[in-house]
Amino acid sequence: VRPLVGLLLLLALPPALRAQDSVIVIDPDAPAADSLERVGPPPEVVAELIEFYNDSTTTRVQGDVTFPTGSRFAGRLALHRGNLRIAGRVEGPIAVANGTLHLLAGADVRGDILVIGGRLIRAAGARHEGRQRVFWDAAPVALTDEGLLEIRERRRPIGDLAAARTSFQTGKVRTTLLLSTGGTYNRIEGLPILFGPTFDLRTGRRSAFKLDLRGILRTAGSNTRLADFGYQARGEFRFGRFGVAGEVYSELTPIEDHPLSPGEVGWSAFLLQRDYRDYFDRRGYGGLAWVQVTRPLRLELSRRRDDERTVRATDPWSLFRNSDRWRSNPPIDDGHYVTTGVRLDLDTRNERYLPSTGWLIQARFEHSSSGDVAPVLLPRLVRPAVPLGQRYAYDRIFFDVRRYSRITPSLRVNGRLRADGWVGGDRLPVQRRVSLGGPDLMPGYDFRAFTCAPSGFTDPALSALCDRVVSAQIEVRSRVGLNLGYRTRGRENQSRRFIGIEEADLVFFADAGKGWLAGDGPGQVPANRIPSFSEWKVDVGIGLDAGEIGAYIAKGVSEDESVKFLVRLRRRF
Amino acid sequence: VAGSLLHSPGPPVRRIWALLVSLAAGALLAIATPRGAHAQAGNSVRLEVRLTPDSAPRGARAPVVRSDNLLGDGRWLSTLRSGLPVRLHYRVEVWRSRNGWLDQLTRQVYWDVVVRHEPLLDEYTMLTIFGSRVQERRYATLDALTAALAFAYQINISPTEAGGYYYSATLEVSTLSDSDLDELERFLEGDLERARGREGIGDALGRGATRFLLRLAGLPSLRLEARTRRFAVR
Repeated sequence: VRPLVGLLLLLALPPALRAQDSVIVIDPDAPAADSLERVGPPPEVVAELIEFYNDSTTTRVQGDVTFPTGSRFAGRLALHRGNLRIAGRVEGPIAVANGTLHLLAGADVRGDILVIGGRLIRAAGARHEGRQRVFWDAAPVALTDEGLLEIRERRRPIGDLAAARTSFQTGKVRTTLLLSTGGTYNRIEGLPILFGPTFDLRTGRRSAFKLDLRGILRTAGSNTRLADFGYQARGEFRFGRFGVAGEVYSELTPIEDHPLSPGEVGWSAFLLQRDYRDYFDRRGYGGLAWVQVTRPLRLELSRRRDDERTVRATDPWSLFRNSDRWRSNPPIDDGHYVTTGVRLDLDTRNERYLPSTGWLIQARFEHSSSGDVAPVLLPRLVRPAVPLGQRYAYDRIFFDVRRYSRITPSLRVNGRLRADGWVGGDRLPVQRRVSLGGPDLMPGYDFRAFTCAPSGFTDPALSALCDRVVSAQIEVRSRVGLNLGYRTRGRENQSRRFIGIEEADLVFFADAGKGWLAGDGPGQVPANRIPSFSEWKVDVGIGLDAGEIGAYIAKGVSEDESVKFLVRLRRRF
Repeated sequence: VAGSLLHSPGPPVRRIWALLVSLAAGALLAIATPRGAHAQAGNSVRLEVRLTPDSAPRGARAPVVRSDNLLGDGRWLSTLRSGLPVRLHYRVEVWRSRNGWLDQLTRQVYWDVVVRHEPLLDEYTMLTIFGSRVQERRYATLDALTAALAFAYQINISPTEAGGYYYSATLEVSTLSDSDLDELERFLEGDLERARGREGIGDALGRGATRFLLRLAGLPSLRLEARTRRFAVR
């Protein structure tokens, strides 16, 4: 499938005609061009309209005005905002600004007609002698206190009108002030509040500089190492397809990015006191450089130095089960880590949230080392003791490949292959270890059903201890009418509003995965081998996905698992 | 959110579980018709896709897509006047007919039209987004906006290989929040840095909730499908 690049309007038509042209020709194979084109009536015609309207000899009207059959008007006539209906005789030119001119049956107009910002609707039997110019696009005019027209400054584009922030321009610098939540709610910092400015400076036609400053205010966690206040600062310079950035930060970082998205984790924690992620405190600085090879393909090289520390769970409020204890947050291998990473992103999806076709490939490799690691004591089967006072270094790889396909107009098949884990050097620190089980990758199994913890090892935090995980998912989707709700009727008995969920995807899915410790010990898999598929755990399920919410039933078939019921607030993948 | 009800077994939980399973099963059983089959019925908004005249030497024909009467359905006008942007997401697919086997999707093209009412100006802004190219137009009257929304789009994606083909067109009309709109523009403009998650700062929790509440509150969404008859390229 060809990615969406370079859809272009054919702009051969003269501007005056394009506004009214009822067929727009799209040529997907035309060369790509980034642009924002603001289309409007020609400035000289707008100036002519203003001059006509403001002329002291012009009769000016506003709102809905009708010249009935048999009426007669002579002179210059102008209307601003409204409907001018003419069924009688008008001798003279007519101008309409941001309104509609109706020539009704029996109308007889002898003079030029200029309509900007509206239509000319002409009934059969209406007569007109003179030039006729009509521009549907709105006239950028406003009425002054004296009742005259003047040019109105163009407002900001609608994309800039976001409710949670405000932007203003000072010279060449565009400043945006943001105040928002941190996108989640968790047992460490409660509800983080983010605030701060972003400065955008366009330094050239193809280059731009951006400085993003964010303060993080935490509503919980004041009695832990984590301070009430965190920060993120990032400076970025872009030149065409290339960019470099530097950043400093003090933030809470999740150990794994599954089994739920940050928004879902937030709702789960806030409502049910269930936080499905673990976290550590990360403070440091780094730099990265990237190249946008093509629109969907991006490569990135980064290096950073982090001070990574354990944080304890606190006791933020939750709507239900508030008296329960939160799952403890696991200790990590504290230390300063220097990490060099390479990352690749390929995104040819047609949509971000509800894609139906395309690829999403994310891959990264990182080499990390530390000279002062303070390791957590883990069972020897999980990790040999980390010698203190020596350099500690490891390599890790991650990839996530997703394919979205439509195999018939109404049937979609999506697949995902994901792997994460250790590939070389010393064994991974706790904060880089992995697990399986839970709504995202293996919904037929409990949260962290596969942590690679040896038998007899009790861990209330259910820490992820595997060296490696691999998982594969496939799903088949078909859109169905659901009509779970009821339909109301509007005042005129025509505006029917459906309260509830009107349609959804029926989803059949299967997942398979395996988490393991690399090595030659009991229950381990040799470091140079991936477990055969017969060793993977498998689940199957069915569900309904209405886009913003989905309900699923899943069952693990490799072990005697109970049926799981899940509610998701986003697509599975 | 996920499966929490099942983590602690006990009679009350089992009853809830049984209820949920029953509801889910009922919902599945309630599914009677594929969505596409009645997409055009019961809605006053219409989507049509037709073929350009058969004038090419080898019989290749392009699709012409047009939606009609969007504002005749009072839901969308009401939504616009409530200050919420309305997004029209068009997609045209080229399908190759293969007798005795699943048809093959050979190509697709999509574009977006986003409309918003600006109450202070009493104007409607219409963004047409073709890949990285964005066109902004403004309309001061409903007549003009209605006419502009009824533009037909001729897509030059005629197949060249010999075979039987048809075009499938989909129009998804939905309500957007401001952050959705902002993100849509960024995504379509190829701003992958933001689109891959960095913008999640401050957005994810609110956006998911907003979208869910918008849906449950009865704000409309609509999906229409249409397809052309089969034609042959020689």
